[in-house]
Amino acid sequence: MPTTTSSAPWPISPAMPPVLEICDLRVSYVAGPEVLKGISFAVGADEFVAIIGSSGAGKSTLIRCVNRLVEPSHGRVLFNGRDMLRLDSGDLRRERRNIGMIFQQFNLIERMSVIDNVLTGRLGHTGTLRSLFRMFRREDIERAVRLLDRFGLAEHIDKRADQLSGGQRQRVGIARALIQNPGLLLVDEPTSSLDPKISREVMALIRDAAREFAIPVLCNIHDVALALEFGTRVIGLQGGRVMFDAPAAEVDQIVLNRIYNMEVL
Amino acid sequence: MSAIVAALPGPVPYRPSLRKGLQPYAVVLALLVFVAWSLDYLDIDLERLPGLLGRLADVLSQRYFPPDLEHIRRPDYLAAVGETFQMSYAATVVGMLIAVPLAWFASFNLSPHRRLLYPAARLIIAGCRSVHEMIWTILIVEILGFGMLPGTVAMTLFCIGFSGKLFTEAVEAIQPGQVEAIRATGANALQVFVFAALPQVRVAWTGIAIYSWDVVFRASTVVGFFGAGGMGAFLRESVQRVDSHRVAAILLSIIAIVFVAELISAWVRDRMLRAVA
Ligand SMILES: Nc1ncnc2c1ncn2[C@@H]1O[C@H](COP(=O)(O)OP(=O)(O)OP(=O)(O)O)[C@@H](O)[C@H]1O
Ligand SMILES: [Mg+2]
Repeated sequence: MPTTTSSAPWPISPAMPPVLEICDLRVSYVAGPEVLKGISFAVGADEFVAIIGSSGAGKSTLIRCVNRLVEPSHGRVLFNGRDMLRLDSGDLRRERRNIGMIFQQFNLIERMSVIDNVLTGRLGHTGTLRSLFRMFRREDIERAVRLLDRFGLAEHIDKRADQLSGGQRQRVGIARALIQNPGLLLVDEPTSSLDPKISREVMALIRDAAREFAIPVLCNIHDVALALEFGTRVIGLQGGRVMFDAPAAEVDQIVLNRIYNMEVL
Repeated sequence: MSAIVAALPGPVPYRPSLRKGLQPYAVVLALLVFVAWSLDYLDIDLERLPGLLGRLADVLSQRYFPPDLEHIRRPDYLAAVGETFQMSYAATVVGMLIAVPLAWFASFNLSPHRRLLYPAARLIIAGCRSVHEMIWTILIVEILGFGMLPGTVAMTLFCIGFSGKLFTEAVEAIQPGQVEAIRATGANALQVFVFAALPQVRVAWTGIAIYSWDVVFRASTVVGFFGAGGMGAFLRESVQRVDSHRVAAILLSIIAIVFVAELISAWVRDRMLRAVA
């Protein structure tokens, strides 16, 4: 296995500090039981971590705690050594610029053009006044065009996002995340709204871009086959706890049966 | 019994509740009972209703017919019609310039400051709404004196309350996913509003804006009755002189003009909605 870091998930050798380090993370939604009950793991710079687990295990909650779309009640989330949970709103915004996010429902601005959708990935680096008039910087626009071209969307640049197919929309979503020049990609079930063939294409796209730009990935994924194929490491969640954490090559049927309670497979 | 699903091992954990099923009907029944009680309490004599239409026709034909159409063709009356249009237009534009940022502050999902701006904006919108537009007119005429200015100010306040509430509700109904996506890029609160909310509310807001002008215009036709300028001032004068034929003519003109305004707004709305959709 080329991924030496993933066989010893945490701690990681001092030569290469983890990009993301999550310690004893606990979350409960208002007046509910704990959804995450003390999660700890670290992600190295060259890892593609696939998070699997049955519905309701807390996968989305976990990923959304990293950029604080969900506010955890306890724990630490160190991103490049800074605790995301201690940041004030200004610093949080500055850190969010460095974390790209890809969504199951794409979450594109439906009534906006494809290229403007991609350019929203630069909002954090664009002055408020400029952005009011959609006067994005020239180099950002060039980069957006190149990304769209690379994803086979060159002739759809001016189209409204709601005119694209599901697979095309997810490519736009990926381009929006990549144009941020992120130091980490958060991906929440990127393929659940897509058919199997497009799903694999989209996963390959994410993996190849992550490799090329050396971006670590934290990716929730229902489909175990995809998790094993694209992940370098698999974390299994169950009932808000980490059930296992191992390199993808070491995950076997027994472990999978345990995590899905033999329901899915 | 169907065998498609296996029998449950224990007791069925769900039982339909007749009480819950009856609830909506009970609420309607209670409302009707309250109406009956109110009619009784207010001593409203329903037997007088059937003669209403006939008597209305009598009054109209004897007292108000024929309308004094000469009166509403006088140049000073026509000028007042124009002023009423201008008053409603100015009040709607200024009111909306104020209502748009207020709607941003007052929407719980996007408010840039939940502890201060959010309650403040809610309070201003609710405050504008809680005072009837004619009461606003009376109060402001009291302060500023007669003329177009108090009418315009009163209509502006009315517009802030009216459109502000509808704008806010439209913002609160947007899809949260798009908001999260823009937030996740590190955008600030104004950028989130402009990029995630505005494209989603564009169509609804356009409709609301034109509807607001429509409502403000209708109110503007009568503010003059309270001394605030426009067509209503002529209505007041004729009423005070007990000149029923003139009153009839003015009322007719108001009905006709509001009807025309409604046609215009429907046409503009149609055009605009197609442009922004
Ligand atoms: N906004 C919320 N308010 C209250 N409870 C929530 C909220 N979001 C999620 N939950 C609860 O938290 C638990 C974990 O949800 P989460 O969405 O993280 O699961 P998941 O593993 O992503 O599931 P899925 O595979 O279906 O997406 C669930 O029991 C869910 O009901
Ligand atoms: Mg989920």
